[in-house]
Amino acid sequence: MTQSMRVQLDRERCQGHGRCYVLAPAVFESDDDGYGLVVSADVPPELHEAARKGAGNCPEDAITIIES
Amino acid sequence: MSDTDDGIDLTGPPQEMYKFLRDHMPVMAVEHEMMTGTSVTLHADVTTVLQNADIFSSLGAAEIGQVRPLIPLEIDPPEHSKYRKLLDPLCAPRRVALLESSTRALVNDLIDAVIDDGACNFHTSVAEPLPSQVFLTMFGLPVERTPEFIELKDGIIRPPVENFDEATEFRNMTGQKIYAVLQEAIEEKKANPTDDFISQFLDAEVDGHRLSENDVLDIGYLFFLAGLDTVTASLDCMLAYLAQNPTEQKRLVDSPDDIPAAMEELLRWESPVAGVIRVATQDTELSGCPIQAGDKVSVNLGSANTDERFWTDADKVDFDREINKHIAFGGGVHRCLGSHLARMELRVGLEEWHKRVPSYELKPGITPEYTMGLRSVDNLELVWRT
Ligand code: HEM
Ligand code: SF4
Repeated sequence: MTQSMRVQLDRERCQGHGRCYVLAPAVFESDDDGYGLVVSADVPPELHEAARKGAGNCPEDAITIIES
Repeated sequence: MSDTDDGIDLTGPPQEMYKFLRDHMPVMAVEHEMMTGTSVTLHADVTTVLQNADIFSSLGAAEIGQVRPLIPLEIDPPEHSKYRKLLDPLCAPRRVALLESSTRALVNDLIDAVIDDGACNFHTSVAEPLPSQVFLTMFGLPVERTPEFIELKDGIIRPPVENFDEATEFRNMTGQKIYAVLQEAIEEKKANPTDDFISQFLDAEVDGHRLSENDVLDIGYLFFLAGLDTVTASLDCMLAYLAQNPTEQKRLVDSPDDIPAAMEELLRWESPVAGVIRVATQDTELSGCPIQAGDKVSVNLGSANTDERFWTDADKVDFDREINKHIAFGGGVHRCLGSHLARMELRVGLEEWHKRVPSYELKPGITPEYTMGLRSVDNLELVWRT
């Protein structure tokens, strides 16, 4: 079991496909233009699964998950 | 049916042909009147091209009767992002959400018109009018003239002529008519601005400058062609699939919450916009094959989306797929500007149709015939019990 998780969203890579914030709205959100933002960089354990799903479905590989 | 000299039926589902190309000629020279250049089918090469707009320019990517580069499709970075900054908010999920209830009402009107017949041509009864009316309203063009606009976009996408030269001529002629329609709308919105796109474009600034009237025409021209046929083709592909796969169809009827995931999987599998074009700006290579500056590169999105080198169970349509980062809307800086709108229209269309028509199939004797490039199914005759 992982203890803590951080997510990073690379705004340079992000092209606004919107998969992350649609699939994991508790972890990611949309800015006014439809590009992705991270709600809170530290992801609580109950949202780890959602964060992985959002990150894994980004067509631009713009999201990195750091687990420690 | 249109057969090639080798007897391959080009109107059938294309996935097997994509696999053949990937396995035998993943980087292939193509030489026909529509395009001379190189076609790429591997997911890795496709993403390389899409992600490197400096090496693979999109200027000259489309020949659809335009007289100046289309905005933003044929504009390369860094210019490109100036236009996207202006256009992205207009097409963002928040804006699209405001159109959902009127779209739902429209789908129901379209279904009302056919439901008691127990049969319809889905393409002409639903898939074509739905995006056309949503788009024309949003854009600021008169909805009463929908049939005329559908004819105009068909004149570009499928010119009703025999050979390539005639097609080019027909496209250019139709293009002039589209510019005229847009010019007329611009004049009208200048006099009476409303909250539609054309009015907002006229009011918008890029880098402190107002958009020129030509800019507005060049954006309008692209939207006109990108906003109409793509959603139609996607709905056609999805309904054709579901009509032939009763288990999956029943699942959408019984569990409407599965519709978004099903829609993404069908976008992957069908890739209704089969490919895009780029032009190499310098000598380079793809999978070790040389590409020369000036070469056109045809980028096969449908093949990338079904490449077993990238996907697990690539040839299985799986609504439970956990990871689905398909590129049916392209990728890199030119990611489809209308993707949020398109997804809303497709989802609402699928939701309402399966609520109202819980069991349907292809009319006996019908084999769906897909058009090439933009994969619509004009003969999508469906039947159901009333
Ligand atoms: C399911 C429906 C749709 C599909 C599959 C689709 C697909 C695509 C693809 C693959 C591209 C990339 C083109 C390239 O890289 O050369 C694109 C770009 C574009 N699409 Fe769509 N599209 C759809 C619906 C729409 C709609 C409804 C609109 C407008 C209302 C639209 C507007 C655009 C625009 C403006 C671009 C150019 C973006 C740019 O160059 O920055 N699309 N679309
Ligand atoms: S899925 Fe990726 S590209 Fe899309 S909004 Fe999220 S981070 Fe951006």
